[in-house]
Amino acid sequence: MSYFVQLVVDGLATGSIYGALALAIVLVNRSTGMINFSQGALAVLSTFVAYAVVQAGGPLLLGLVVAVAFGVVLGAVLERLVVRRFEGGDPNTAVVATIGLLVLVSGIAGAIWSYDPRAFPSLFPNETLALGGVFVSVRSLGTTAVLVAVMVALQLLFRATKLGLAMRAVADNPGSSALSGLPVSRLLMLGWGIAAGLGAVAGVLVAPQLFISPTMLDFTLVYALAAAILGGLDSPLGAVVAGWFIGVVENLAGAYVDVIGNDLKIAVPFAAMIVVLVLRPQGLFGRRTVVRV
Amino acid sequence: MSLLELQDVTASYGQGSVLHGISLSLAEHGATGILGANGAGKTTTLRAISGTVRTTGRILFDGRDISGLGPDRTARLGIAHVPEGRGTLPQLSVRENLLVGAYQRRDRKQIATDVDYCLDLFPQLQQRIASHAAALSGGEQQMLAVARAFMAKPRLMLLDEASLGLAPSTARHVYEAVRRLRRETGLSMLVVEQNAVLAFSVVEHVTVLETGRVTVEGRTDELMGMDSVRRAYLGG
Amino acid sequence: MAGALVRLRAARWSRPALALVVAVLLVLLPLVSSPYVNYQVTTMAVFAVALLGLNVVMGYAGQVSLGQSAFIGIGAYVAGYGTTHGWPLLLTFLLCCLLPGVVGMLVALAAARLRGLALAMVTIALPIVGTPVAKRLSDVTGGSQGLTVSWLDPPSWVALADDQWRYYVVVAIAAVVFLLTRNLVRGRVGRSFAIVRDNEAVALSMGISPYRTKVLAFTLASTIGGASGFLYLAVVQYTSPETLSFGTSINLVVAMVIGGSGSIAGAVLGAVYYVLVPVLAGQLDASRTALLSGAFLLLVLFVLPGGLVSLPRRVQQLLTRRRRRSATPSDDPGDRTGTPVLTSDGRTP
Repeated sequence: MSYFVQLVVDGLATGSIYGALALAIVLVNRSTGMINFSQGALAVLSTFVAYAVVQAGGPLLLGLVVAVAFGVVLGAVLERLVVRRFEGGDPNTAVVATIGLLVLVSGIAGAIWSYDPRAFPSLFPNETLALGGVFVSVRSLGTTAVLVAVMVALQLLFRATKLGLAMRAVADNPGSSALSGLPVSRLLMLGWGIAAGLGAVAGVLVAPQLFISPTMLDFTLVYALAAAILGGLDSPLGAVVAGWFIGVVENLAGAYVDVIGNDLKIAVPFAAMIVVLVLRPQGLFGRRTVVRV
Repeated sequence: MSLLELQDVTASYGQGSVLHGISLSLAEHGATGILGANGAGKTTTLRAISGTVRTTGRILFDGRDISGLGPDRTARLGIAHVPEGRGTLPQLSVRENLLVGAYQRRDRKQIATDVDYCLDLFPQLQQRIASHAAALSGGEQQMLAVARAFMAKPRLMLLDEASLGLAPSTARHVYEAVRRLRRETGLSMLVVEQNAVLAFSVVEHVTVLETGRVTVEGRTDELMGMDSVRRAYLGG
Repeated sequence: MAGALVRLRAARWSRPALALVVAVLLVLLPLVSSPYVNYQVTTMAVFAVALLGLNVVMGYAGQVSLGQSAFIGIGAYVAGYGTTHGWPLLLTFLLCCLLPGVVGMLVALAAARLRGLALAMVTIALPIVGTPVAKRLSDVTGGSQGLTVSWLDPPSWVALADDQWRYYVVVAIAAVVFLLTRNLVRGRVGRSFAIVRDNEAVALSMGISPYRTKVLAFTLASTIGGASGFLYLAVVQYTSPETLSFGTSINLVVAMVIGGSGSIAGAVLGAVYYVLVPVLAGQLDASRTALLSGAFLLLVLFVLPGGLVSLPRRVQQLLTRRRRRSATPSDDPGDRTGTPVLTSDGRTP
């Protein structure tokens, strides 16, 4: 029983990382209607900035703050200089453009920091708590808590603030939003900026476990994309819940189903995703798009 | 001084030019209808003013040259463009659409009052206040588009083919509300309309465009007396 | 390569002549060049076939596929299994096409109703799940170590070195695949691909089923991908889970777009790029390969959206525009950034 609870809690922690990156993907999709395949690469580059701060003797918390700020600026600049050109155009070209960013940005990280994995300090102490006979790691609890806080903040931003409303309006129809005086260009940059900042948080949280390298988040990105699609691409809550679902289910399946084991557990989210896509193409939490001509 | 003045404005989409140097002016609190056949440049004239098409020539709004400004800038100066084909945000609720309309305003209390005014103007929207705009009927979407533009507290509203695709009774209903809006707020308007009868119910001046040039202009009662105009736009 | 050069000559009579010259050059090349060059050119032919397959589904039918590497991998493993078990060569080749084709068709039957991004995600699953599966099935695949074969040595009646013989086999098969595919995409099937890509509603109104068309495109792409897997093993004599990895798929998409999507010659140029860039970048600094590759892709997307294959046309376009501009300097349309042109109810075009 205690092993089971441990698996679930660890699954939630891993799922929180998937969820955080999935949130970033949802955010970009909401603000620019694109799927950003470079979301993981942006997060890794930001995490390397935190790494550089720590290497220079700064505290990790400062590194996190600098990494998030760097991510916001990086996302905004890339949106303006590169992505803008492909918004609202052919979706396939847009996918290829973000793949280009993925290759470019992880290439930059590789050229500066090489491809060898390096150790990265953890924000949380490497301890376990005994809660009613069950041992859970502080890292798992902390990671999950951070994600919950971020998600609540984002929900508040979108549902309760004027800025969030404006971002949703621009995502819905940028041309029409401009007619109401919305600064479309800046709002699009902000969407990408917030997403990349969020990715930086995910990167710093997961780096101690994965060891930092330019390809650190390649698999996490795939999980996150699966989570974003499972949850419905327009739902932050859906992205997070789907991230947790994937994290927990793959952990349990890896441990209890012999055929799957540790190496094949990545097939679990895909199986779930394909089933959901075929049965319910708008995702578990997404809204069916209503179009009236 | 006139609120809006176009001086020798041309506009083009890519290669072909659509407006060939048109000039017109609109007085504060005035309303002018723009009539003309398909392709005469009516919609492009409105787009030139709101900055959604590339132009040359001078466009003066309240004495200031606004040519070359983008749509978000002209909107912030007080020009509200209700585009052809219903300018709503389909994935947002009716209320959210109205609040987006009021994006540049800071007077929160007055915004709430104006939302109520819009719902009084278009009672149908009251029942659909929480629905997605995409779920509204065509007529309701057009009403929402007008209401959203009004929420910006503009000084000039550009209304483009508000009757397009609507049942005649719905179109009349929309125009009755627009007329009431003018009467009660004194809002200046440029109205592009295929259906001249509807346009004449709102405006007191008319400009007729043909292939990108102004051919006739004058007060509505003068134009009503001109046989050519009656034949072309009022069905005899 | 032949196609790109052909494009330079507008005159009709020169086409077959030029094709003949290129064919003769391709035949003579391995006899005079070093084994290293032969190996590289043969590898280009392998990836030209792989990119051709990707081009069918992505360029011609307009469906994003991030799973092409999986079919190369399956093809290579089937070839490896066949060789080590002494199957006849022709049977091995046919199975190399058939098995990936069936896998591709099954995936497409489930996924082809999806659009754009959802489809991209399902196709990602192939390399992502395929890699651990390949490691797991170590009896067949050699696991993480990979599979080394000694295969396709020149028969005794041919006086050719290994590299020359393999060059001829691979280039000949590649040429046949290219000819068949070219005829296909220029015919009725190609037209239905284009219609589905441009507008599914129009396709429906013309009695073309978008679903069936997409399944067909995916099946063809995976079949061709499988063929390239066969060729891959013939040249490299080794395959591992790396062949079908996600990274390979990404690089294939990059190379296809750089070469020119929706173009036969583009597949060849993309393959030249795919093979040459790591070699050239490696001479400078291997860790910069990805950086250069990503930057180059974005550059192409910005200034040459049609890919390298459209370079001659683009240059010509720029030249005529300059000439026209110097004739009438007043009417400069300028750049298109800035104000978006409004569409009635949708996004900016």
